[in-house]
Amino acid sequence: MSEATPGDGWAIDTRGLGVRYSLRFTRKTTVRGTLNNLLRRRNRAMDFWALRDVSFRVEHGEVLAVIGPNGAGKSTLLQCLAGIITPDTGVVEVRGRISTLMSLNVGFDSQLTGVENILLAGAFLGHSHEWMMARLDDIVEFADLGPFIDAPLKVYSSGMRARLGFSIATAVDPDILLIDEVLGTGDQVFREKSKARIVEMVGAAKAIVIVTHDLDWVTEFCNRALLLDHGEVVAEGAPQDLVELYRERSARVKSKRARRAERFLEAAQRGEVAARR
Amino acid sequence: MSATLEVPASFRSSALRPGTLDLLREAVWEVLSRRRLIRYLVQADLKAKGANTLLGNLWWVIDPLLQMGVYVVLVAIIFQRSQPDYPLFVFAAILPWKWFRASVRDAIGSVRSQDRLIRQIKFPKIVLPIAAASSGIASFAFGLIPLTGLLLIFFPHRASAYVLLLPAVALVQFVFTMALALFVSAANVFFRDVAIVARRGLRLWFYLSPGLYSVEQVHDIAGGQSWVGVLMGLNPFATLFEAYRAVVYDATMPDWRALALLLAASLVLLVIGTWFFKRLEPSFAKVL
Repeated sequence: MSEATPGDGWAIDTRGLGVRYSLRFTRKTTVRGTLNNLLRRRNRAMDFWALRDVSFRVEHGEVLAVIGPNGAGKSTLLQCLAGIITPDTGVVEVRGRISTLMSLNVGFDSQLTGVENILLAGAFLGHSHEWMMARLDDIVEFADLGPFIDAPLKVYSSGMRARLGFSIATAVDPDILLIDEVLGTGDQVFREKSKARIVEMVGAAKAIVIVTHDLDWVTEFCNRALLLDHGEVVAEGAPQDLVELYRERSARVKSKRARRAERFLEAAQRGEVAARR
Repeated sequence: MSATLEVPASFRSSALRPGTLDLLREAVWEVLSRRRLIRYLVQADLKAKGANTLLGNLWWVIDPLLQMGVYVVLVAIIFQRSQPDYPLFVFAAILPWKWFRASVRDAIGSVRSQDRLIRQIKFPKIVLPIAAASSGIASFAFGLIPLTGLLLIFFPHRASAYVLLLPAVALVQFVFTMALALFVSAANVFFRDVAIVARRGLRLWFYLSPGLYSVEQVHDIAGGQSWVGVLMGLNPFATLFEAYRAVVYDATMPDWRALALLLAASLVLLVIGTWFFKRLEPSFAKVL
């Protein structure tokens, strides 16, 4: 592990990553429902793979964009990298301190004030109290919430929550930053500010993985991209190429869907749909 | 070499399945290293509970007294099944029971209610039920104020130094509650009816425990059939209520042997509960 210093070598390494979701336990499970399923042997076809055989590396100083249609497994991939989910197959190896930045509308506790939430977040992330106190001023300053920082989170607007979340996640000085769909939040000024901070972090040889639908962002700030679809890596390479590929693919899917809808309509007009039943 | 120490490396794979001892060791370490988080969570919980009510924490004093009033009217006046000094008799059971019920109820939803956080950051989930079960201590402590008042003002002839042993009894109850909290909080992630079952179950449990009545009354009714006594002995709250009543109402030593047995059983349950929770923890983020 002697080469594991920031600035050289990889920060994230995944090999043959696979994540399987069991649909047996979804949100609405009850004991009765499960017993029913067991009795009727409705066990089959209840698994689905959110990720399958995903392998890639992120070098230090790299900004990797993960793009793909909804349900491609992008968020699951980030959850895996963050250690929130343990992969069912394969291996994730990470060198460095990770900070995650996922949908920022989520405050930690809406009854607590901004400052209290910063400290609570630090405690959740496992930072020591002294460590957090040393960074508290920086976080407050960057969030730039004025007197709201001492008001309970429930009176915050979603943009203000996003600013607080971004400040916490980046001020804790991570080696690796995982960002999920959050760059569009906040007003124009804060968006510029957060972009500047990300550029700064890239300069400091931090590795960043971004999930986003903002394709302009991908070509402008990322130096590599990964296209996911149905849980599998379609392509990996220069952002420009991948964005193009992605646009082509979505155009194809769109036209295919349109054609299918057209055919369905025609068939319906001829009364074939009813007959097929 | 110093540079490598600054960079924590982590390696995750499903191939690494930690053994039982590793899980337990990990749980202990997580709780010890996140003491401050648990404290914050307890404070936040207390703040939320106090903030949403007009009288705030005063309810912790009023509520058990109101409930005591209901049972005094019901049992002592309407059913005429009173014990001497019935208000104190029943209060000694109501107070710990309210603590237990609130802790278990809070613990059940503790993991599920943080579903968004669980899907967003990595943290030891075990702090959630522990914080939930711990925050009940505050309301229990506040309930000791009316208890002391009752003892000193209305029933001074019952007051004795044995009352000072009450924290020892409460400690046994706390360990038992914590063990249960770990089981129900983890199970409720997978089955939502845990909460429903628990609500009904808790009510039944209270009426089957010698809270409103004494163990002697049960023995009188059973007429010397020994299985009733055995069944009663298996109920942790028979032991606990008897112990609370010994120090508060009877002014005697509690049954130390029964308490020690319950403590030992609770500790075993706590270990199994911790293992149960840690085993299920990796799937929380996927199921929620």
